[in-house]
Amino acid sequence: MGELGRIHQLIFPLGGHQVSLNIEAIIMTWIVIAILLLFGYLAARKHGRVPRPMQIVGELFVAQFFGLAEDALDKKRAEKYGPLICALFMFLVLSNWLGIIPHLEEPTKDLNTPLSLGLMGFIIAHYAGIRSKGFKAYASEYFQPMFFMMPLNLIGELAKIVSISFRLFGNIMGGSIIILVVSYLTYSVVIPPLLNAFFGLFVGTIQAFVFTMLTVVYISVQVK
Amino acid sequence: MTIDVQTWVKVAAFTGGGLAMGLGAIGAAVGEGHTAAQANIAISRTPDMSGDIFKSMLVGQAVAESASIFALVIAMILLFTDYASSYIEISVVLSAGICMGLGAIGSGIGSGYPAGAACVGIARQPAMSGRLMTNMLIGSAVCQTPAIFSLVTSFIILFTDFSGRPINPTWAAIVGAGLASGFGGIGSGLGGGLVAETSCDGIARQPETVTPVTNVMLLGQAVTQTTAIYGLLVSFILMFKTFEATSALAPAAALLSAGICMGIGAIGPGIGEGFTARSAVDGIARNMNATAELTRIMLVGQAVAESTGIYSLVIALILIFVV
Repeated sequence: MGELGRIHQLIFPLGGHQVSLNIEAIIMTWIVIAILLLFGYLAARKHGRVPRPMQIVGELFVAQFFGLAEDALDKKRAEKYGPLICALFMFLVLSNWLGIIPHLEEPTKDLNTPLSLGLMGFIIAHYAGIRSKGFKAYASEYFQPMFFMMPLNLIGELAKIVSISFRLFGNIMGGSIIILVVSYLTYSVVIPPLLNAFFGLFVGTIQAFVFTMLTVVYISVQVK
Repeated sequence: MTIDVQTWVKVAAFTGGGLAMGLGAIGAAVGEGHTAAQANIAISRTPDMSGDIFKSMLVGQAVAESASIFALVIAMILLFTDYASSYIEISVVLSAGICMGLGAIGSGIGSGYPAGAACVGIARQPAMSGRLMTNMLIGSAVCQTPAIFSLVTSFIILFTDFSGRPINPTWAAIVGAGLASGFGGIGSGLGGGLVAETSCDGIARQPETVTPVTNVMLLGQAVTQTTAIYGLLVSFILMFKTFEATSALAPAAALLSAGICMGIGAIGPGIGEGFTARSAVDGIARNMNATAELTRIMLVGQAVAESTGIYSLVIALILIFVV
């Protein structure tokens, strides 16, 4: 129980400042990236008219998320943002699943991961908005419906980053806390595997999908 | 009879445990009762499907129950852990209990709705029972999010070492953190349940709309939870910010009211955004061609309904950082 909420950090001095790295999240993120690269290699290797199993899985992801992007954006933008959306989902879902393997932790359990992905989506959405509407139309939206609403509109926009990242973080963190505590209370008999299946596989997939959907919607709200 | 600090901590722990389980029992019981009621209606309509309906009722009730199981876990921990005898522990145990108890109310009631709608849906459209069950499970699981946020807050309150912090403003910050997450979960849990209920209903009525209905349901529920996330954010700030020691009561009152402000302010937007998303999902189930337009209007409407939650957030942040 002592390890609850504890973060393993590597702290070293650099130019008079203490630099701290969340070493666990970094290693786990690289594991996820390595698995994704391997998956990409296996899916794209020897692709043919009669697909191999890995190719089918890969095509499934691509087709699903391009379709999703096309529904929310238009065809031209879907081609531009489709790869991002597909990659985002694959990264998140694998990150959320990683915790069910003993000794591995979800990188999304560290607030830094969802926060940086949320920030990325936010910047991309606003960049897309400025590109499609022009800066003037983009900026004038903040002064709707009344000019003095500007600070609140601004806070509302910034709150989107908080809400998208805390939603993922809270769910994954909550799941891992419940699993830890229940394993401790029941001496890891019977119940923890079921909890892992529910919070790791099921909730993890849903939350990865929700995060991806919200990123798509943030982009589509900005460009329209 | 003199009562020492140790005894007061025990008193607070027992009170907190009682409140956690007492409040936490409300929501799940109401939700499960609703599910069972709908299952009875469904079986009376299509007795042949009683096996499937019964199964989906039990699964739905099990998910709805998880909110109060979280409360049970917190209550057990509060009852059976030994705490250090310091004044700060009194607010820690009390706040953790109240936080989890309040947070379980909304999610419990909310996740009862989709399960009930799924039962009636199976009666109406027996061929869709598999998809309805999946949709119900997704919807109910997302409804649990506010309860999970309260659980996270309770655990962090319980297991963070507050002993190095000054007692006076910190006690208020801890209680405020518990109230912000606890109250904040009520509206979002309920609202998310409304959305999921309509989506099950819509799938049963128009089976071919299942993909857009499930997607927009998830989106609507996610946006509905935004105010609960503001509550979580305020709780995190209150828990992790170190406040200067003071003997005055005003700073403590400001921190306490920041938590109350954000928590209660989140109830209304959560329910209201649930109404918005419910109608949007219903509209999509009736007219799939209007999905894009309905989604857009839903998001805009929810953003406006959420503005009162943002006002609460602003006031809470001003209370924490400025006053």
